[in-house]
Amino acid sequence: MNKRFIQLRFILNIVLITFISLIANLPVYPASEKESAELVLQRERDYEKRIIWGERFFSLHLDALALKQFERANKIKPGAYFPQYRIKQVTLRLNQSQNRFVSEFIFDFNKPGFLITALILVIVFSITSMVIALATALINRNNMMRAEKRKQYLLEEYQTMLVNYLFATEINQEFISKIKKISNNKFNRRILIDQMIDLSITLTGEEKEKLKNLYLLLGLDKDSYKRAMSRKWHIKAKGFRELAFMNIPSANKEIRRCLTSRNDILRMEAQFATIRLYPDNSFEFLEQLKKRYTLWEQLNVYETITFHQLNLPDFDHLLKSTNDSIVMFSLRMIRIFQLRNTFNTMLELLSHKSAEIRNQAIHVMGALKINDCLPQLKRIYKTETYENCLEIIKAIASINDESMLGFLKLVLDKEDDVQLQIEAAMAINKLGIKGSDTLNKLLTSDYKNYQIIVKHVLDKRIN
Amino acid sequence: MDIFFDILSYIVNNFILGLTIVIFSSYLILALISAIALRNYLRKNSFVDYNNIILAPVTPSISVIAPAYNEEKSIVDNIRALLALYYNNFEVTVVNDGSTDNTFKTVIEAFDMERVNYFFDYRIPCERIRGVYKSRNRSFKKLTFIDKVNGGKADALNAGINISKNQLICSIDVDSIMEPDALLKLVKPFMEEGDKKVIGTGGVIRIANSCQIENGQIKRIHLPEKFLPRVQVLEYTRAFLMARMAWGKLNGLLLISGALGMFDKETVVKCGGYSTSTVGEDMELVVRMRRYMAEQKQKYEVIYIPDPLVWTEVPSTLKVLGRQRNRWTRGTMETLFKHKVLFMNPKYGIFGMLGYTYWLLFEWLAPVIEFLGLIYFTLLVIFDEPNWYFFLLLFVFVYTFAVSLSTWALLFEELTYHKYEKRRDVLKLFITALIEPIFYHPLTVYWAVRGNIDYMRGVRSWGKMDRVGFQRSKGKI
Repeated sequence: MNKRFIQLRFILNIVLITFISLIANLPVYPASEKESAELVLQRERDYEKRIIWGERFFSLHLDALALKQFERANKIKPGAYFPQYRIKQVTLRLNQSQNRFVSEFIFDFNKPGFLITALILVIVFSITSMVIALATALINRNNMMRAEKRKQYLLEEYQTMLVNYLFATEINQEFISKIKKISNNKFNRRILIDQMIDLSITLTGEEKEKLKNLYLLLGLDKDSYKRAMSRKWHIKAKGFRELAFMNIPSANKEIRRCLTSRNDILRMEAQFATIRLYPDNSFEFLEQLKKRYTLWEQLNVYETITFHQLNLPDFDHLLKSTNDSIVMFSLRMIRIFQLRNTFNTMLELLSHKSAEIRNQAIHVMGALKINDCLPQLKRIYKTETYENCLEIIKAIASINDESMLGFLKLVLDKEDDVQLQIEAAMAINKLGIKGSDTLNKLLTSDYKNYQIIVKHVLDKRIN
Repeated sequence: MDIFFDILSYIVNNFILGLTIVIFSSYLILALISAIALRNYLRKNSFVDYNNIILAPVTPSISVIAPAYNEEKSIVDNIRALLALYYNNFEVTVVNDGSTDNTFKTVIEAFDMERVNYFFDYRIPCERIRGVYKSRNRSFKKLTFIDKVNGGKADALNAGINISKNQLICSIDVDSIMEPDALLKLVKPFMEEGDKKVIGTGGVIRIANSCQIENGQIKRIHLPEKFLPRVQVLEYTRAFLMARMAWGKLNGLLLISGALGMFDKETVVKCGGYSTSTVGEDMELVVRMRRYMAEQKQKYEVIYIPDPLVWTEVPSTLKVLGRQRNRWTRGTMETLFKHKVLFMNPKYGIFGMLGYTYWLLFEWLAPVIEFLGLIYFTLLVIFDEPNWYFFLLLFVFVYTFAVSLSTWALLFEELTYHKYEKRRDVLKLFITALIEPIFYHPLTVYWAVRGNIDYMRGVRSWGKMDRVGFQRSKGKI
């Protein structure tokens, strides 16, 4: 056992030494004379190879590679003139392209100068920007806190002053000069305008007019106008908002120009200002709009209409718009404001080329419980898209007309889609006693999956 | 042979240097785009009143789907927090994915639930649904609880989609904490849809370790006390505020994090739902949806919101973090290989030409190349004389650039949402940024390489993710 172990160790040692020697390119044992001659020949060949490759790299301007070859050639023949000459040449060429300051005073990188310069510049830039970013982060916190404190103070001050002003019987000159004094800079005036806008939302009639007069008296309208004419969109939008809330139509032209802006916020603020400032033709822009009128814009206009109790536009007319999104908006508003007098135009929309509009029209007719549309809905069911078929069944359920029982039973019987079956069963369930009886009969039926569907529909916890 | 190695080493040297410069340049460009996009977003947001959405009668309907597996300790609080989200038109569907603890019983008892005769269609294949439960208490009308056979997170989400009734689905991790206004912010891009169809929206994920939590909601934000979670704060800030923001702007975003994302249900169903054959189902779904839309020649968008919308607990031990990163690498590889047709394919626009290529080269290959570079350098030290001066210069270049990038990420956070109140927190994060490249980054490279090896070995498991949990540390996790 012990002998075998010694043998194994011996073999392992030999393998290890051979391996290391191969890697280190060292002779394993002393060379004989013949072997020495071979070694000299080998060195000669190596030297030549280095010179040939060094020259190739040198001519290709691959200086780093050339330098390596000439340095190796110099190691093989330390006294040879040519490699030393080339080393000098290559080093010179590298030094010429190097940053002199870097190569002379810092380190000799033996790399192209532009690279070293670029790396050093990036390092300097990184350190500088790091320091700036950290300092800004720390200073910003202080500034923010200070600004917030100042804002709070001003808000409280202005609030008290404005309330006193609104309920005073006559204008006090002392008050005017005091408020003017406080709002002597841009920041303070901005806070004052914000405060006045907040207050204006809650005011009506005489008080609102009084607030507007103060706004004009302090020349804040000029600030708002200036903002409305700014080239920066976010400042312009703020200006529009201020003018709209304070009911000052001075930037009319600019507001109208922005009604078709590509910037959605600016466009919305312009729309909002138009609605507020020009009541005679406030919704004119809807007829001119070529872009898609987004749900978000629609929602904001709806909020404005309800909040300020504005007159509704002629939705019947807008239903004929060539802009599909305007038609969608009109249909939504017709549903919300229960405008049943638009029925005939809506009926025409059931043959509109857009499936989305047809879907919305069906939905609105259902929500408004318009019985007269039922024959039409029944007629188009076969040719409609899946989503619209679902909507037709839901509309029938909302309208809740017993005459549709046969149709609904047919849908339940013929359709294989689970959702259509459920909706049809739900519509039947809404048809009072007749509907309940039908469902109870189906509950005992083994045909298709009626039992599961009816159980689902009758379960009040689900629906 | 020597000449061959000389040329090879010359090429390798220049390749690594070139790649480093390209990666760093791309980081800079992305940071710049992010900064501009972030500024525009905040300016636009200053005009937005989210209350309009709450009160509106025309909002899209949302189904929040939360898969749960062995969550008995925190599930009740988390469901309550979900039910309290600000929105008027939503339902919450919690899917018990065959939990082996008391998750099922806890939910049934806490919300007074009973089985209902729910009829539905397996539009997306998923494991068998054992039952659908609704509460007897009408206060919990919005809540639906599904009990199903275990099939993994993707499978549970698919089950939730099958049961959901609404236009949009919002997938969330049930153990994450959503900001109360998260749904309002996520739904807004769908309402702003113009000529391009919005197929998905995602937001920023924040780290909840060390934060004070009450009733499933964040009460007080603290910077994580431990180093590992803290360094992940930096990582997340860089990734979300500096990279994803830019990709969102370029419409080349490949990933909406599984912790929170909102999708157009119709598109998800048409694409076949979440893939159960990958461990990176969140990324795979987004890539598949984008690919589907491009192949259908439909204009579409995936929107990214820089607002912090969800808080999650990140691994605080090396072992768990290693497993997570390993899984992320495998998930990335699975998605990239599955959709290799996208590579530099102009048919898919910026998403194929830039987004996919970036992920392939910089998210997947960069750590591998970095690792190979390290081996190469070690060999160079053993067998040849490296240019030490140049090496030192390169090291300083990489280090200062990395720290600088992290500091800028800190500034982005400070100028936008500044969630960490104390000035000391900024300094702590800066010190973390100084340490990160030396102590943490090599580990991420190691985990990524392990992920590559595991992928090639055919490992497909998620790996156990132990969490400290919200309850155990009495208010703090």
